[in-house]
Formats: sequence, structure tokens, C-alpha cells
Amino acid sequence: MGLGRYVALRVAWAAAVSMIIVTIAFLLISFSPNPEIQDAVRSASLQGENPAEARERIKELRGLDQPLHERYLDFMQNVYTLEWGWSDSRNQPVEEALLESVYYTAQYSIPWTILTVLIGPLVGLYSAANMYSWKDHAATGFAFAGWAMPNFFFAIILLLVFGIWLEWIPITYNTDAAVFSLENARQLFFPVFVLVTGSIAATMRVARNESAEFINADFMKTAKAKGVSPFRAYAYHVMRPTLVPLSTTLVGQLLAVFLGSSLLVEFVFSIPGLGRTTFDALVAQDTNLVLGSVLIFTFIGVVGNLLEDLVFTVLDPRISYDDR
Amino acid sequence: MSDEPLLEVENLRTTFDTDQGELIAVDGIDFSIEQGETVCIVGESGSGKTVATESITRIVPIPPGEVDGSVRFKGQGLQSIDDEALRDIRGDQIAHIFQNPQEAMNHVYTIGWQIVEGLKIHQDVTDEEARAKAVELLDRVGIANASARFNDYPHEFSGGQKQRAMIAMALATDPDLLIADEPTTALDVTVQAQILDLLNELQDEFGMSILLVTHDLGVVAQIADRVIVMYSGKVMERGDVYQIFEEPAHPYTQALMKCLPEFGGNAGGIQGTLPDPTDPPDGCRFAPRCEHAASDCTVGDQPAEIEIEPGHLASCIYYQQGYDSSVVQNDDLGTNANERTEAADD
Ligand code: SF4
Repeated sequence: MGLGRYVALRVAWAAAVSMIIVTIAFLLISFSPNPEIQDAVRSASLQGENPAEARERIKELRGLDQPLHERYLDFMQNVYTLEWGWSDSRNQPVEEALLESVYYTAQYSIPWTILTVLIGPLVGLYSAANMYSWKDHAATGFAFAGWAMPNFFFAIILLLVFGIWLEWIPITYNTDAAVFSLENARQLFFPVFVLVTGSIAATMRVARNESAEFINADFMKTAKAKGVSPFRAYAYHVMRPTLVPLSTTLVGQLLAVFLGSSLLVEFVFSIPGLGRTTFDALVAQDTNLVLGSVLIFTFIGVVGNLLEDLVFTVLDPRISYDDR
Repeated sequence: MSDEPLLEVENLRTTFDTDQGELIAVDGIDFSIEQGETVCIVGESGSGKTVATESITRIVPIPPGEVDGSVRFKGQGLQSIDDEALRDIRGDQIAHIFQNPQEAMNHVYTIGWQIVEGLKIHQDVTDEEARAKAVELLDRVGIANASARFNDYPHEFSGGQKQRAMIAMALATDPDLLIADEPTTALDVTVQAQILDLLNELQDEFGMSILLVTHDLGVVAQIADRVIVMYSGKVMERGDVYQIFEEPAHPYTQALMKCLPEFGGNAGGIQGTLPDPTDPPDGCRFAPRCEHAASDCTVGDQPAEIEIEPGHLASCIYYQQGYDSSVVQNDDLGTNANERTEAADD
């Protein structure tokens, strides 16, 4: 089986997984109590009307009187045509609300991802090259301090020290700041910093251990005996094989921190991103918006996993596509 | 360029800084290699023979290692030149192949890429020229269908094929000296013989000198012109291959011979273990395991090498003035070893 076919199959599998998750979301919603109907029934009985009639009326209005399979097909169609319904709490279409949130989330996620991808492997390699020296210990210590500190807590401390006591950074987030402005850089510095410290430790540890193995590998001696310069040896003979296991860690770590911590960090730094929006939607019982957020997170997770697998397969020539 | 040997090593000493103190891997050895000659360094593992060869172009890790002494290659002193100049020689005029071909190649690059890499570092060639040269070399070392297999990864090659590819890589720049460190140890017996034959053939064709490290006297018999027997960082005996096999003079060489299956020896090797390289014994390094050891053997330093016949030297006190060399000489090894050498020469 060729690489092309493997990629096609893997993409198809990712699509199937996302479909299953969307289906589960649909079933959960279908079988859970609908606050809108309950509202309608309550207000009908308060006004002396027939509650059963009101229930039927609202069901008809929302299309809930249709058989389950038809509602499922409708639902799926809407999901894939990006018609995710109306958000009551934000008074705008769900996809619009989400797009706005993603805009803010991306502003810190992109620099964070780039920095993690750049710094993690390089610091790991540096540590491995100076293994057990004070440089290695310093780099490892720094990385683990960042990892051990809960991001949420770290964010609050930073905000307290630099925002409130020293007043170096704004404590409120200004949504009007232009993307590429100094003001935006200032207000995003600490969120990015907190996330990078959180995601870098695992990346760096894997980079350090794997590249240490390759630095001492026999093929490094071969390279040296061939007259390869130290820089080239590190770049080609150590970094490149390290990227194979590292790619998995990198994507996994970024996803984990994104799903786990970025919401909390958004909350602390009051960034109106995806996490904030999801949280607000939950509080406001805005079913459509909650569902939309869940779909976005699902999508990010599925795409992340897909990337992880594809990158790994492309990077490691020893993997035979037949085995997978 | 006249009578000067291709490589001349004097008082080579390689030490490593370890937690147990200074580890002396190579303790002041001399040897030289002539143009087109094959020299074998033989000894048990841990005798310092690998470190000795890796000290020539300083591919031993430094630090923690430190290399002292004089290494002259084609009249140029290698011990004093800087890393960059040394890199120009490594893989160009002095090439290496190693013991374990499974690990000696990087698994994420194709065989072809790895041959071309060395070639492009040392020669100003285009990609196409480098590729053509690599394919030609792969073909020459016996890889069938070389131009297709250029794009194979190491895991798609068998152990023997990988060692062939390593040889192709080493020969890419037409080196003057090929240093082969246990090149057949990790291979099947039948493949071992093929690789040694190939090295013999290529030596005739390319006219290079070979410095081969091995613990296997069978390999020595097949390929060597001259032999250096090393033990615990010191040279015990040296001579041409006939002298060593027919009249092994040093008790250590004799003990190695006795381990050969022809003498009913077991593969287990010589009784006892090598001395601790961080704390070598006084006197002869081999004394703790030597059946002839006398009280004089354990004082001072390793006995000086004494010339027994032209080109045949041994470092054992029994060859010094005032001792009776027949004690160690009259061993019953000579005749049998003779047959063995002749058999191997066929
Ligand atoms: S010097 Fe003494 S211990 Fe060393 S080989 Fe000769 S007899 Fe044996």
C-alpha cells in the first residue's frame, strides 16, 4: 500500500470518527430535557392554557415532532453545511459567534504553538548535547517548573504581580486592539507565556531523551568519521530522527494543553475566545452554542490526531503502511 | 614521498575521565602502516584496540577522552591540526567502517543519501554525479540492482548488505587508509568470509592501506600482512603474519592461539579477566593471567619490546638479556599454526 492510499484511508477514518461523535452529540440532545419546551409549558400553564397543547406547538415549531431519523438527517446536514442554529444568549448565529471566539483564541494559540514547536525541541537537543552538565540541569529544571505549576494558578499569579502590583500589563483584555500591535502583544504576552511553559516540558523531555540516544548512536560515529561537521551532525543525524517520536508528543501535548488549560487561561485573562464562549454558553443554557463549541473542540481533536498520525508515518521510513 | 610510511603513530595515549578516575584505554603505543599494506590489531575486547584506531582521527569522544602522542599521516602531524582540517581528512583520505552495520547507518535516510553525504562533503560534485558514483560503488561492492536499491532505507538491507554499503560509503572518496573496526563480527560466518574477500579485492583495486581491528585470529590469518597484538592498552607482540602464527613469541599471543578450535580451545577464551584500566598492574599487564609470570614481571612498567628477529618484537621479560627465552618460546604451537596459516592463504 502506498503512502497516498494510507493518507486517504486515514482521512476517511478521521471523518468517520467525527461523524460518530456528532451522532453521539445528537442523541444526547434528543434524549435530554429541552429547556425551551419546559419554558413554554411553564408559561402556558401560568397563563391558564393547556400545557400539553403548548408542548405540541413548540415541538412543531422546532421540528421536534418529526421522527428521530429525519431529525437526525436534518441535524447532520446542518452540521456539515455549517448551519448550527441560533444562539439565544448572543443573539447571533452560532457559527458567527464561534468564528468571533476562534479569532481571539487563534491570536494566542498560533504564537504559542509556534514557540512550543521551536523552543521545545531545541532546548531538548541542547540539554542532550550537554547531558548532566549544569546547562542540562538548568534547562530541565526550568521546563519542569513550568510544567509542575498549574497553568491556571500561574496565570493568576502573573496577572497579580505584573498586572496589579507592577501595572506592566493591562488587567483587562482590549478586544479592539489591532492584531499586530504593541498593545495586543502586551496583553497576549502572559497568556502565551503561561501556555508555553505548560506545554514545553513534555516536548523538551522527549526531545532530550530521544536525541541523547541518537547523539550516542553508532551512526553519529559514522557521520563523524565521514567528516560531517558537528552542526550538520546535530541537525541531520540527531534532530531528524528525533522528530519521529517527537511529532507525536508535540501534537499530543499541544492538544492536551489546549483542551485543558487554554480555557482557564482565557478566563483569567478575560480573553473572549472559545473557552470563554463555551463557558458562558453553558451558564446561559444556550444549547445550540454549547453544541457548536463541542463540535469545534471535536474537530480540533480529530484533526490533531490525524496530523499526529500522518506526520509520524511520513517521518519514519521504517513504518510499513501495510501494518497499519 | 619516499620511504616514509603512510601512517606513523608514536606514543599514542588515550585516556578518559571517568567517575572511577582516569581510564587509560591506550597506554603509549607505536605502530606504522605502509602504503597498500594491511595491518591487524588483535586482542580481546577491552584491550584498547578500537580506541587506538579511533584516536588516529580523533573520532573518540573528546572530552571526556584525551589523546596524546604523535600521529603522522602522509608526513602531516594530525595531533596538532584543528578540527576543521581534521574533518577534511576524515572520510576523505582516512575512512572508517564499524563493527555493527545495523546501527552504523542512520535509519531515517536512504542508503544512497548516506553515501552521497560523505561524497558531497569532500568533493565538488553535482547531485547527479554523486548519485552515479554511489550507484557505481554499490554495484562494485556487490549490491545487485544498485540503482534501484540506492533509494532503499537501511532496514531494507540485510546485515551483510549494510556492511557492503558501509564499504561503498568508505570508498566513495578513494581513501588512502581504510580503518575497519571488527567489520565482520556482527555478521554470519559465510557473510564474514565474503566481506573479507571483498576487502582483499578492493585493496588490490584501490591500492589503499587497511588497518583492521579484530579479536578473531581467523580474520587475521585471512587478511593481515602484519599483526599487532594488544593487551590492556599496550602492545604485547608484533610481527608479520607468518611470524605471529608460526612462532608466537609472547605468552599472551600463545594463549590466544590456544583458544582457537584447532588446538582444542574453547570459545570461552583465556582464563581470567583483563586488568582494570583505571588501575593497571605494575610490570607486565598480562602477569596476573600469565602462566610463566615470575616475580620480575610485576615490577616497573611493561617490559620494553625486544626484537626477536627482524620485524618481530615481543614485550616480555624472558626475551631480555639474562633470561632464558626458551621458557616461553618452546611452545608446541608452531607447527599447527603453520598449517593454519597456509590453509587460510588458499
Ligand atoms: S613479562 Fe612475565 S608476565 Fe608478561 S608475558 Fe612475559 S612472562 Fe608473562
